[in-house]
Amino acid sequence: MLLAYALSSGITSGALYALVAVGLVLCYRTTGHINFSHGELFMIGGFLAFTLHVMWGLPYIVALLGAVAGSFVLGVLTDRVVYQPLIKAPPIAMVMATVGLSFVLKGIGRHFWGGQGEVVPFPPLVSPAPVLIGGVAVFPQQLVVVASVVVCMLLLTLFFTRTRAGKMMQATAENAHAAYLVGIRVERVYMLTWGVGAALAGVAAVFVAPLTLLTPDIGLSLLLKAFAATILGGLGSMTGAVIGGLLVGILEALAGTYIASSIQDVSAFIIILAVLVFRPTGLLGARARREV
Amino acid sequence: MLTVRNLSVWYGLSEVLRDVSFSVPRGEVVALLGGNGAGKTTLLKTLSGLVKPRGGAVEFDERPIAGLHPHDIVTKGVIQVPQGRFVWPSMSVADNLALGAAARHDKAGIAADLERVYDFFPRLRERRGVPAGTLSGGEQQMVAIGRALMARPRILLMDEPSHGLSPRLVQEMIEVIRRLNEEGMTIFLIEQNIGVPAAVAGTTYVLANGAIAFQTHGSKVADDPEVLSSYLGGGRH
Ligand SMILES: Nc1ncnc2c1ncn2[C@@H]1O[C@H](COP(=O)(O)OP(=O)(O)O)[C@@H](O)[C@H]1O
Ligand SMILES: [Mg+2]
Repeated sequence: MLLAYALSSGITSGALYALVAVGLVLCYRTTGHINFSHGELFMIGGFLAFTLHVMWGLPYIVALLGAVAGSFVLGVLTDRVVYQPLIKAPPIAMVMATVGLSFVLKGIGRHFWGGQGEVVPFPPLVSPAPVLIGGVAVFPQQLVVVASVVVCMLLLTLFFTRTRAGKMMQATAENAHAAYLVGIRVERVYMLTWGVGAALAGVAAVFVAPLTLLTPDIGLSLLLKAFAATILGGLGSMTGAVIGGLLVGILEALAGTYIASSIQDVSAFIIILAVLVFRPTGLLGARARREV
Repeated sequence: MLTVRNLSVWYGLSEVLRDVSFSVPRGEVVALLGGNGAGKTTLLKTLSGLVKPRGGAVEFDERPIAGLHPHDIVTKGVIQVPQGRFVWPSMSVADNLALGAAARHDKAGIAADLERVYDFFPRLRERRGVPAGTLSGGEQQMVAIGRALMARPRILLMDEPSHGLSPRLVQEMIEVIRRLNEEGMTIFLIEQNIGVPAAVAGTTYVLANGAIAFQTHGSKVADDPEVLSSYLGGGRH
């Protein structure tokens, strides 16, 4: 019973970590850079939904769309303000710039929403009463979250395999030089990539909001979890990020349940260290490179 | 059709191309020979807009194209087949070819051109669903050329098409270039391998140390002692 509870909550948070990690990996594989403000994009997305839904009383779906659109725009701004100007600079400049951006976004979060998420919680999406599935108590909220994450992943897969824009993004990720030579407007692909990556963080935030307290400082812990997921899955693989995200969620829930709840929050860190020491290529290893 | 005048290109503090001038008339195969590090790839990158020149002019159909965005150069019909093929490895052959038309919007024309590419390279039709990265080197070169054809080239720039191919495949590549030219394609070809220009090129330039050392005819490159000596001297340093 305890195990089933740990697993179902682990899978739920794991699915959300997967979504955040996929956004991070999407940008990494296309542009070659890790966005250290990805967690803050998540945070702002969550608070945008909070503003629309909790403060202004708009329907949840409007909050979802608003947060997605808002974080997409933030992603595009990241491209314009940070990525494009530094595209030829040494990689460390980009690291510093996105770290800097994370502080700016956190400051914005504190200014507009400091303390509010704790005072006025985000209401649950669906009835909070658990339902029994095969003798296991599952919260409908968890089912909604997992189903939505699955839908997002399917949409993303369709985007990459069926649409022209998705194929252009894939091509740019695999070889930007060749993409330029067929006339793909690579700069626009980068802009779209930052936008979509941020939007994925925004979607995740809208689903996380009813599950935990939103705070302006939530970004870093989300970034660490997404990191752990991507490193576990083999940096650069989106499939790996999904598997890694689920594993991080499950391991964290198990550690919190069976070892000590204080372990839960640092388990992402422990996973990062363990993978880097014992299996630096991630669980999927070299295979990871060829996948969408 | 393509005229390059006094082109100079720098990477930071080093001058890679110095005062390079040549021209490619419509319908011809013009070659440029040069050793490793002579600046051949840099020249093609400059023609395609990936590198901005510091001085000089590039004209295509009497209109300047130097310094334009690669997309705008592609839409004018100046299409490059890059060195090392650069196919998108996880994507299918069909997707690689389809993206060759990334800058076009004429759906019917694109579909017709895809059929023409498959007729030109029947092997690619057989393998169209396969990830391009799993093909042999020779097949990948066909994908790279087919992809360039999908962009509707008016001139094809080829960077070392024989690179890394076996002697038999080099012969096939020579045949491909000949067939393309017979169908009216203008080709500017860059090579280290004398065999290719010797077989297909008209005017042939020799690039050494970033400058055009001299000019000859494809049919003469094989027995011109000056060719070898100038590009043996044209190494990296
Ligand atoms: N991106 C770059 N930055 C600085 N130097 C470069 C760059 N690319 C090439 N070079 C240098 O420019 C010279 C010409 O290179 P390249 O055009 O690739 O020669 P080739 O294609 O003839 O072998 C070489 O000395 C090479 O080291
Ligand atoms: Mg070269």
